Amino acid sequence: MKLSVYVWKRILMMVPVLLGASFVSFLLLRLTPIDPAKAYLSVSNIVPNEETLRAVRTQLGLDVPFWHQYGVWLGQLIRLDLGTSFYSKLPVTSELAARLPVTATLAGASLMLALLVSIPIGIASALRKNKLTDHICRLLAFLGASMPQFWLAYLLIYFLSVKLDWFPLQGADAWFHYILPSVTLAFALIATYSRLLRAGLLESLEEPFVLYARARGLGTFAIVTRHVLRHAIRPVVTAAGMNLGKLFAGTVIVEQIFGMPGMGGFFLEAVFHRDYPVIQGYLFIMAFVFVMGNLAADLIQASLDPRLTQAIGKGDGR
Amino acid sequence: MFRQLKNAHTVLILVLVLSFVLAGCQTNQKPNAGSSGPSGTSSAGDATQAAQGAEKVLTISWPKDIGPLNPHQYAPNEFFAQGMYYEPLIDYGDGGQLVPKLAESWDISEDGKTYTFHLRQNVKFSDGSAFDANVVQKNFDTILANRDMHSWLGVIGQIDKTEVVDAHTFSITLKNQYYPTLQEFAVVRPLRFLGAAGFPDDGNTANAIKNPISTGPWVLSEYKKDELAVFTRNDNYWGAKPKIDKLVVKVIPDPEARVLALEKGDIDLIYGEGVISLDSFVNLRDSGKFETSISDALASRALIVNTAKGPFADLDVRLALQHAVNKQALVDGVTNGVEKKADSIIASNFPYANVGLKPYDYDMEAAKTLLDQAGWKLPAGKTIREKDGKPLEIELVYMGDDEVEKPMSTAIQSDLKQIGVQVKLTGLERQLRNKRMEAADFDLLFWGTYGAPYDPHSFVSTNYEPGYGIYESQQGLPMAKELHQQMKDVLLTTDETERQKLYTSILTTLHDQAVYLPISYLTSIAVYPKYVTGLKFPAHRDETPFDTLDIQK
Repeated sequence: MKLSVYVWKRILMMVPVLLGASFVSFLLLRLTPIDPAKAYLSVSNIVPNEETLRAVRTQLGLDVPFWHQYGVWLGQLIRLDLGTSFYSKLPVTSELAARLPVTATLAGASLMLALLVSIPIGIASALRKNKLTDHICRLLAFLGASMPQFWLAYLLIYFLSVKLDWFPLQGADAWFHYILPSVTLAFALIATYSRLLRAGLLESLEEPFVLYARARGLGTFAIVTRHVLRHAIRPVVTAAGMNLGKLFAGTVIVEQIFGMPGMGGFFLEAVFHRDYPVIQGYLFIMAFVFVMGNLAADLIQASLDPRLTQAIGKGDGR
Repeated sequence: MFRQLKNAHTVLILVLVLSFVLAGCQTNQKPNAGSSGPSGTSSAGDATQAAQGAEKVLTISWPKDIGPLNPHQYAPNEFFAQGMYYEPLIDYGDGGQLVPKLAESWDISEDGKTYTFHLRQNVKFSDGSAFDANVVQKNFDTILANRDMHSWLGVIGQIDKTEVVDAHTFSITLKNQYYPTLQEFAVVRPLRFLGAAGFPDDGNTANAIKNPISTGPWVLSEYKKDELAVFTRNDNYWGAKPKIDKLVVKVIPDPEARVLALEKGDIDLIYGEGVISLDSFVNLRDSGKFETSISDALASRALIVNTAKGPFADLDVRLALQHAVNKQALVDGVTNGVEKKADSIIASNFPYANVGLKPYDYDMEAAKTLLDQAGWKLPAGKTIREKDGKPLEIELVYMGDDEVEKPMSTAIQSDLKQIGVQVKLTGLERQLRNKRMEAADFDLLFWGTYGAPYDPHSFVSTNYEPGYGIYESQQGLPMAKELHQQMKDVLLTTDETERQKLYTSILTTLHDQAVYLPISYLTSIAVYPKYVTGLKFPAHRDETPFDTLDIQK
């Protein structure tokens, strides 16, 4: 099987996964005991009475049966229309599209930062195993893994923005607005990735081909960057693929603290208001990002490891 | 394809390219982000640039976007923005006094059903068009076309017809007499006025407006959805013009980030109810770097006591509750004194509410005696009282994530434990808590009144109308029927003496029957650097003080 066929197969597999995810979320939302019409009125500080409720239910399209609602939603989805927000009365597609770039940039920048920093740290701590460098890196990793995100965010704001005035406190107008939020998000990832990479490197460095490379007189740096790294980095790639979706979904606290107009805060509001179309649209996009993240990780894995490519070529690469 | 993806370097380059593409989307999308709102009025002005000039620019923060500034709609329109931007016919002043705004004066017919408004004559909308009876009619037309949506506001349901008498006179005729008519004209939405050019083509503002054109002191000059809004002073404003040139509203959702923004000097004022944690308020106050002030009572925080079931069906148990809770400790301990101790469900600075009710003292011994009297005795060796072998257990429902309700609930639990009452605390998310309230499925429930300008009339209507859970929770009162009838009657009286008499009777019954446990009066706070001057809290809960503020650097 060619790679392109494999990729197409994986993409086709996404259809039932996404349909399933959308159906389950649609069903679960409607099983919650709260009437979105009442929720809408309560955020508007209106005491609901029967007439008002009826008017709002009709306005929101909630007066038709479940299957009808789901059918309408699917029909719209085919035309890339995610419906109209109960709350803002604007199309969900444009509401999400206006916020997606902020979240995507933030998630992308954090992931990139995490990879760029954790690779040298991982290498350094593997090569200087149990030496001072390794101990410092380990300490940083423990800090990163255990420090609550919001706390780190406040610390960064307090020292780098309020006290030293190096960075803006809030907003998402230019690239430098993304620095503090990305550092906040990347910190925990750096901890994980550098430890994963360190373990991978230490394992790979014991392989016979390393001994052979040394025998050929190659320097440590060349051995690590040219030969060992591509083996050792595989667990990091898997983790990063999984993290992409998590990062997309996990920016909410950081977005709120740094006042960034991304999808996280918007989704949180939607949950408060029981804004079904927004929740539904957001979950759909998240499911898509998760599936794509995994696919990308698999493909990168295959490109790093010829054995996997061969397995796909033989048709058993799943 | 595999060869292209052959090594990790390529992967990194791909990630890099992807982020640049996304960053590209970002800059391309930005101008569109605002187009879903009132971008029609955007200008190229930049807030930070303005701040550097000689202009007086005041920057504030708000937790949410201002919304589309539609005067006739609800969420996601923010109260404060609609309130500062659009004007009513009549405003709500201190102590509930009615203040002429777009109506200079008004007459009420002898039968109390026809209200004639004499409109102010020199008023222009921000686009230069005149404010007259025709545009008032146009606004009423769209409001009444969506009558169901607005029927929560009593006067909307009562309007029978509206009429343009002449260019500057407008009248409405009600189906029945309804005294809070004029008070209800002061609410922020939906009875405020949009200029004719702001209406959509079909004239119905239920979904959207074209442009936020108002008669008010501010004009929206820049808007970036979820980021910022800039209001410029309307130099053609008919009334007292604001002293500052520009008001910049930055969206900062996180309360702690708001405090940091004030400390950094990014914003000049923190204003509102519950906009920062009460601890932060005290820290800022004690830092000596900022001025702080607290408003008068704006609304009440209270527990609804369910008389329809359980131990609180007994008046003595309800009275015991009134004596057992140390409200002063709650207010000092939980709110750091920002909220004021409440002794009556409607504060005495509200219209008709100064009826001389005698507060229940904090008196544990009195509480214990009342419980003994009710037959709830403390068995030897036990800490919880019992009656007929049943322990005295009650459930208190509160909003789980509420910064104030949660610690207050815990304190009440420990207060009641001292008189031998076991309290089960149930913290629920807002919507689930509403559901419990409507079903009257609680013994005690944290609740808040609507406040000025809605009370006391909105308060009585939520008490007599079935469906919200309050009426249901009062079914254990022997005089429930008469009480609810009085509540209905008071809204229809046109005679001032009779109205006061009814209110006195209603508020006294609620107090004597201990149907509520009033805890505190909510207030607005303001924190600002010393160069901000002229802060005066409006009497109206949803209004803002920006018109009178000045900057003196």
